[in-house]
Parts: sequence; C-alpha cells; structure tokens
Amino acid sequence: MLTCREIISTLEMLKSENLDVRTVTLGINLLDCAGEDIAHVKRRITERILGLAGNFVELCDNIGQKYGIPVVNKRIAVSPIAVVGASLSPARLVELAQSLDAVAREARVDFIGGFSALVEKGMARGDRSLIAAIPEALSTTERVCASVNVASTRAGINMDAVLLMGKTVKRAAQLTADRDGIACTKLCVFANIPEDIPFMAGAYLGIGEADAVINVGVSGPGVVKKAIERALETNPGMDLGSVSELIKKTAYKVTRVGELIGREVAEQLKIHFGVVDLSLAPTPHVGDSVGEIFQSLGLRAIGVPGTTAALALLNDAVKKGGAFASSRVGGLSGAFIPVSEDLNISEAVRDGHLCLEKLEAITSVCSVGLDMVALPGDTSEETVSAIMADEMAIGVINNKTTAARLIPVPGKKAGESAYFGGLMGHSTIISVNNGSGDNPFIRRGGMIPAPIHSLRN
Amino acid sequence: MKKAILSILARDRPGIVAAVSRALTDRHCNIENVSQTMLQKEFAGIFIVTMPPGMSSADLHREMASSLEPLGMHIYTKPCEGGEDDCEVENSEPFVITTKGPDRKGLVAGIAEVIARHGVNITNLQAVFKGGNDPGDNIMIYEVDLPATFDRQAFARDLRAKADALHLEISIQHRNIFEAIHRI
Repeated sequence: MLTCREIISTLEMLKSENLDVRTVTLGINLLDCAGEDIAHVKRRITERILGLAGNFVELCDNIGQKYGIPVVNKRIAVSPIAVVGASLSPARLVELAQSLDAVAREARVDFIGGFSALVEKGMARGDRSLIAAIPEALSTTERVCASVNVASTRAGINMDAVLLMGKTVKRAAQLTADRDGIACTKLCVFANIPEDIPFMAGAYLGIGEADAVINVGVSGPGVVKKAIERALETNPGMDLGSVSELIKKTAYKVTRVGELIGREVAEQLKIHFGVVDLSLAPTPHVGDSVGEIFQSLGLRAIGVPGTTAALALLNDAVKKGGAFASSRVGGLSGAFIPVSEDLNISEAVRDGHLCLEKLEAITSVCSVGLDMVALPGDTSEETVSAIMADEMAIGVINNKTTAARLIPVPGKKAGESAYFGGLMGHSTIISVNNGSGDNPFIRRGGMIPAPIHSLRN
Repeated sequence: MKKAILSILARDRPGIVAAVSRALTDRHCNIENVSQTMLQKEFAGIFIVTMPPGMSSADLHREMASSLEPLGMHIYTKPCEGGEDDCEVENSEPFVITTKGPDRKGLVAGIAEVIARHGVNITNLQAVFKGGNDPGDNIMIYEVDLPATFDRQAFARDLRAKADALHLEISIQHRNIFEAIHRI
C-alpha cells in the first residue's frame, strides 16, 4: 500500500517542479560502416541507425506515459565520425553530416551527436578533415552536434588543436552570423570527455562501447529548489550540512526516475542499459533553473561571493544521491551551468553579478564547464583559443571533465542579447578582458604536457 | 473447520481489539487474519476466524453480539466462502489513479463508475478530503490492477473525460514510479 504522502509528493514533483527525464539517448556503433565510398558509407549508416531507432521515439513516449513522467528529448549518439569517416575528405564529411541530419529527422530525434574527434594526443588525418568540416557541417544542418576532445589528464593539452578549434569556432559563428552564431551552440571542446554522456552537444558513443546502448539524462533543478524552499520554511536556520543531506536525498529521487524509465526503454528495445547521468540540467522555463537554487540557498544571484562554495556543495550532493540511486552512473553527473539555457544565469550576467572570470572559477567544481557562453563578436580567434585553453587546464590538472561551448556572436557587443531559441534559450553577451587582441602565448602551439599526477601506474 | 468473517465498527478507544479477541478466545475461536483501519475516530476491523466444531456463523454472531454490543460495538458476521487464494488478477499491472479537485457530490461515484465499467478492481482507496474549494485539499487515490491485455488508452480516455466533467485533475500512472522514488 502506498502512503498518501508518497503519492502526493511524487505528483507534486511532476506537476509543479518540472521533474522529467531530460533525455534518453540511444548510442549506436557505426565503426563497421566505415569506408572510402561516400554513398556506401551513407547508406550503411542510414540503415544501421534506422534499423535500431525505428520505433525508439514512440517507445520512449509510451513508457513516459505509463509512468506519468515525460521523456522530453530523445537523441542519438554515434561513434566518432572522425574515426568512421577517417578516409573521407572534409567535403565528404559535410555530406555525411547532412546525411546524419536527415536520418535524425526521419527517426524524429531532436539531436544526433557524434560528429566528433578525439585529438588529445595528436591529430590524425581523419581528425583534421572532420575539424575542417565542422563549420560548414554545423551551419548546413539542424540536428547534428559536434565535439572535439583536445585534452586529457593522461595526455596533456593539445595546444595545436586548441588553436585550430578557436579558428573553427569563429568560422562556424561567421557562417551563421544571421542567427547569432547558432552553429557554435552545437559544438563543444572537451578535456577528459566521458564516453557516455547522454546530453548534447557532447554526446558520442565511445570507442570502448558495444553495438548499441541506452543512456539516460535526468534533470530536476526545480525539484531540488522546491525541496530546499520547503525545508527552509520549516527550518529557516538550516545549516549547510543539512542542506547537503537534503539535496542528496532529492537527487536520489530524481535519479530513480531516470533509472526506472531508462531500464524499461532498454529492455523493450533489447539493447543494454548504459548509465544514468544525474545532472541537474536546466531549461529556459521558469522554475527549471540551477541559478535559482543558489538564490534559494541565500545567495543574491549566481556569481556573487559564495557561489563557488555553494556549487561545490550542490555538485557533490547531487553525485552522492544519484550514485546510490542507480546501479551505473556516468556521463557528466553533477550540476550544469549553461549561461543561455538557464534564464536565471543569463539574467545574472545581464545584471552584472556573473562575469567570465567567475564562471571559469566555478567550472572547477561543477561537472560541465563554460557552457553556452556568448562572447562579443570581435573576440579574436586567439582569445577564443585562450579561453578554451584555460578551461582545459582546469580539467586536466584536476582530473575532471571540463568543456567549452563558446559562441562569439558576430556583430554584437558585451551586454547585448543573443537569441538561440528553443532549449538553447537566449543570453546576455559576456565581456572578455583583452578579448580582441592577439595572444602570442597561445600561438606557440605544441603540447602542454600531462601533469605528474597522471603517472598512476 | 468452518470459518467466519466478522466485521466490527466502533468509536475508537483503547481496548477494542482486546475485547474482540478475548470474546473470540472465550468461545474457542482462532483469529486467522485481521485487517484494521481507522477513519475520523471510527475503528473498523475485519477478522477471519476459525470456529470450533458445531458452531455456525449465526451462532457466533449471536454470541459475539451479546458480548460486544453492550460495549458500543456493531458487528456483522458471515460465513467465509471459498479457499484462501488471493483474488489477484493474473498478469496484471498495478496502476495508481489520483484525482484532485474541489469537493462536490458524486466525485467518488463518478470515477468508480468508470473503473467498474471497464471491469477493473480497486485494490486500495485513500482519500484526503478536507472539503471546500482549494483543489489541493481534496485528493482521492485509487490503486487498481489493470490486466496485461487491457486497453489502457481507452480506459485513460474515459477516465479523463469523466474527470473533466467533474472538474477534477487526474493522473494515471504505473505504481512502480512511486515505489522507485520513495523506496530503496
């Protein structure tokens, strides 16, 4: 017999706290579709994906309905295209991206990730071709997402790649100048990229993975915020240890939802279940914000002094609660701080509470990085690379994942608004110190060596 | 040995269960199973008992009534039919239907009618009624068993239509989600 309390609190989470499964991502291995003949490659990839994803969206919706929990997004992640398409030219890879876009449309998924390269230790021919193809691929498709891993704690930071990615980001922005550089919203540069992120734009199917896998991304910043508010109403003097405990228990509940739904999708598709990524992932909807959690904790806005400590508490509590809730936790698993996707964070930038430097500082304790950060259009290629390099360094030295999803908005200045639409939201452009100048340090290229503590053998 | 079912209603106070069980033991009856609940200060209990040889449920009723009615308790007795099998529907899935809305006459009857019309059994029913117009104050929870081959879409459709007509918000979901979230 269920208690009244259990039922009512679950329904509250669904109805007014925006509890949902943010994404169910189907990972599909395309390594055996590789080849030199583009027509052949495209056909094999299309067959492979549609063969597995034929009723994927419908199934997710049915299961969502059965439990009364919406599966908001259904996505596909494929093997890194730089490997699958290693023998193809950049032009052919653009064609391949367009083919992936068409397949995503037919399968009715909202994004397809995996237009990716792993270059932490060096760039191979296929990697160079893919990176060269990225600007055009992302500006001529809607649903394709790209990621490039330029650094790892074991390998160090590939600064040649970082330099190249600065140029790539600027070029992608240029090609979509009429839409505020939207191509850049589908491109992430990573350090220590996990192989099983269900979220975009970093989702791809790692090389060590099986033929197919289901990974789930849950969400629930609204649930966490409401839980904190309710607790503070009855106990306004609650200390941080108790807050942490509360967030941990709430994260447990949110993650259980993802585990239940993900397992059932996997079972019905007869694909093995991978991981639950228990990230607090916000959306532009009111009440679905990570930034608001900071306010409920007592900070005026995200970005004011105390933010880093608060985020450290939040990120850790989420991981602990989620780890107990799921048999396998993976992906990013923590709190996201995407500047444009989270209304509250975007406003914090607009109101001057949050600057680029503070954002960078807090990425050292959260699970993602500089995410959806709109920069002034005149930010130089070298500066974009330098911002990336800083973020990569944080990840490499601290043995964690960090990423940079930077959008230099052509023709706009700091303080103005960039509008990306839908889940991507809109954002205030953040100012960059010495942003338009050159950067001889970054130009040097080469490899920043791996830190000594990576020698764990 | 013959079995009987006793159903007892009484104004709640300490000593009811003691009185009932004492009365049963004195008449050489054994309590096999019992379920008890309380609603707004009223005690309600169902006792399945085995009777000694030669006793009928009518006899038991007479005896129990003579002991317990002076204490202000109401008893209903009947013979227990059938075996001990659970009457669980084979291959069924547990669902939970929740309605929320302003109180008025006919809410339970309305929803229960739809449930009955589809041949579905309500296995548990809970209400949080406080009366009045704040929707949050009137919640009904129906736990039901839906056979595996059941047309859930049609059922859901009819329920939603009825809920609309009664100005109720309604949710229908599989029970596992509640257990998954709240139980380890």
